[in-house]
Amino acid sequence: MLKVADLTKKFGNLIAVNCASFEVNRGEIIGLIGPNGAGKTTLFNAISGLYKPEGGTITFKGMNITGWLPHKICKLGMSRTFQVTRAFTHMTVEDTVRVGAYNRYNEKNVQEKVDQVVKICDLTDIRKRVCSDLGLASLRKVELARALATEPEMLLLDEAGAGLNATELETFMNLIKKLNQENKITFCVVEHVMQMVMGLCQQIVVLDSGEIIASGTPNQISTNARVIEAYLGKRAVHVRD
Amino acid sequence: MIHTVSQGIITGILMGAIYALIALGLSIVFGIMNVTNFAHGDFVMLSMYLSYAVGSALAWDAVATPLITAPLLFIFGFITYYLLIDRTLRQMYVVQLAVTVGLQILLRSLALIVWQAQPRALQYSIIQGNIQIAGFEILTSRLISAIISLIFIAGLAYFLNKTWAGRAMRAASDDLDAASLMGVNYHKTYALTFAIGSSITALAGGLLMSFQQTDPVGGVRFGLLSWAVLALAGLGSLPGLIVAGIIVGVVESLTVSFFDPRSRLLGVYAIFILVLWLRPRGLFGRR
Amino acid sequence: MNFKKYFNQQNTFILIGLVIALVIPQAFKSSQYVMLLITTVLLYAILASAWNIIGGMAGQLDLAAAAYLGLGAFTTGTLLIQWNITPWVGMFLGGLIAMGLAILIGFPLFGFKVKELWYAISSSALVVVLQSLFMMWNEVGGPTEKYLPSGSSPWYSLRFNTYVPYYYIMVTILVVVILINRWIRYSKLGYSLLALGEDEDAVEVLGVNSQLSKLKALAIYAFICGVVGGLYACIYGYVHPAFFDTSMSMEITILGIVGGMGFIYGPAMAAIVMVSFREFLRASLGSQLAGLYLAVYAIILIVVALFQPRGIAPLFERGLKKIQTYFAELKRGHKADA
Repeated sequence: MLKVADLTKKFGNLIAVNCASFEVNRGEIIGLIGPNGAGKTTLFNAISGLYKPEGGTITFKGMNITGWLPHKICKLGMSRTFQVTRAFTHMTVEDTVRVGAYNRYNEKNVQEKVDQVVKICDLTDIRKRVCSDLGLASLRKVELARALATEPEMLLLDEAGAGLNATELETFMNLIKKLNQENKITFCVVEHVMQMVMGLCQQIVVLDSGEIIASGTPNQISTNARVIEAYLGKRAVHVRD
Repeated sequence: MIHTVSQGIITGILMGAIYALIALGLSIVFGIMNVTNFAHGDFVMLSMYLSYAVGSALAWDAVATPLITAPLLFIFGFITYYLLIDRTLRQMYVVQLAVTVGLQILLRSLALIVWQAQPRALQYSIIQGNIQIAGFEILTSRLISAIISLIFIAGLAYFLNKTWAGRAMRAASDDLDAASLMGVNYHKTYALTFAIGSSITALAGGLLMSFQQTDPVGGVRFGLLSWAVLALAGLGSLPGLIVAGIIVGVVESLTVSFFDPRSRLLGVYAIFILVLWLRPRGLFGRR
Repeated sequence: MNFKKYFNQQNTFILIGLVIALVIPQAFKSSQYVMLLITTVLLYAILASAWNIIGGMAGQLDLAAAAYLGLGAFTTGTLLIQWNITPWVGMFLGGLIAMGLAILIGFPLFGFKVKELWYAISSSALVVVLQSLFMMWNEVGGPTEKYLPSGSSPWYSLRFNTYVPYYYIMVTILVVVILINRWIRYSKLGYSLLALGEDEDAVEVLGVNSQLSKLKALAIYAFICGVVGGLYACIYGYVHPAFFDTSMSMEITILGIVGGMGFIYGPAMAAIVMVSFREFLRASLGSQLAGLYLAVYAIILIVVALFQPRGIAPLFERGLKKIQTYFAELKRGHKADA
């Protein structure tokens, strides 16, 4: 579904992503992990069109989307959330979702879609609240909801689990699983919370200093010596306990 | 014909050095603090009026007035920072623009109240007169002003690179949170930056008053000029700033000599839009 | 259900407003000065409401209202003076020309990832640049006023010897502009603008073409300013490069911000209150202190921007809600008693 080949992104002399290649198949949930500054968010920004890569190609649904503008990529069927939540602070939850829903719906039937998404994401109670009044857990849900409203075939989630407590994380993971199974949405998640990565993903790609150092199933990854050395270390042991 | 062009270019280069100096004040505020001071041109206007006031009260030469006006503008910048700018740092961007636009209107109307609408100029300048070089007439006051501007730009470059305060300012520009973790109080550093940026306009104002008059709406012109210089130069390159200042000065001077004195801003506006269109990072900008 | 009730209430307000609007000229017919004043207030209300589309909703600090206004005025004036073309056509063409220039400048500046700042600077400079351009262009502008002929029929040349007809035209335009505001606010464009005013990246990945949305907003705003500019020329009876007035542009921006960015009625209300206040200041101490009213304006802007960045409309709305809940509780109380 998504194919990234030899993607390179530089900032001046700093190479943030170096010749990264990986593939995501339809219906998968794939995890992208790596230590801080490994280039995960940069990779996401390049895929979603916010950055123009210096080299390599991104193919989505058989189309070469390298260098496309974000809104065109979204029209094609890919949306994303942000690491630091970037809510529209002065808008209500419902209106925020509506911005996304207009991607595929017009004035007549947009409300239907909004209602549907609000229900799926369990936002009914807070649909009239202004985003600046919401807590982190709700904001993460709102961001997922507005991306979902664009009816994507693929969603990129950037650290969607960061800062959530155990129950909130559980709810969030169940929501993603449900969307994956029922709505057939392909997910690519950048995650620090190992519990979420291990419990959710069928495939994991490990990034370090801008380069992909390993990929495979969660089990393969957690036993990969190079990964443990570069990143997982104690935490991997901790998760398996 | 060639003579007129060359004369225009010479005048433009001399003015360009002063424009670079004005833009430098804006550049350190914008580059280091990421603060958009919309009122920067009006700071220049205010400085010119203060130079006029000091010069006419003490019968000083315009070039000497920055000795008094620069400290005044430094204090003014300091107060403005804590009173207004500091409160806008963590707000929406439009708030900052709105506050500095408000400041711009306030300064302009205060000038109108205190000095009325008619233009003001200082009576004399000891550096008045012309020098003849290879058949070109050069106003001594402009030549000296340009030289002072360049010396000052070089001096400030030294300050930013070599002193602790300068390095603290640059550290704060790179990463606000990291700088404050490393013991740099960014409020103080920013206040210093803003105050220095303001006092630079005092120097420029004094130099300008040695051969120009001032009026309450003059700020718009200097504002556009300095933003155009900054757009051309981009951030983070002082030689680029000087070259950009000279380009803007030459463009202005050539439009004046070949078109119409009233069209002086037209050429500047045109290159401003063109630069934003073709190369939004500026001609020499690193970031 | 709540929604419906809100609109009913709003509609009552509108109805009351319209009745007052119709009655005003009857009350002040005798004083041409007062009628001119009220017309001026309406002019500012229209411009501030139009500004709300680009400034309030899209978050672009536009400072070029007078540029578009002046273009409209000169188009209308020149067409009438040189070819005796009615201002009804001239206004429309003036709007189109203003719109064309706005798009020409907006297109590069709204390009992806160019900061709001550059647009703000360019727009504030545009006013001065146009002024000097029209100062030099002697056939159309020039340093002396060019007077509009009165012609045979006042309705053809839009030249009346009383301000009452202008007043009615202004009221009509204001209502239309507010309706446009409301229509945009609750449409795809409005939601997109409000969102991109807060975070452009985030709105782009939701499939919104932010450049196009901003251009649309700018085009509508410039068109309205141009049309009103045509009327402005007719009211004053001449055109002059001084119409490209930076202070006026800034005032419009202030009204838009103080009124409440993105709130449909805020800018118009701010215009009514503050422009009346300004005229009062001007009348009482304008002759001694020319810049005073602008200084007061500036201070109000700074204070509002710092402490109430969304403008005063949200305060108003909160107050209204409180009254609503108060009455709702009163009703419930009555029911409980029964």
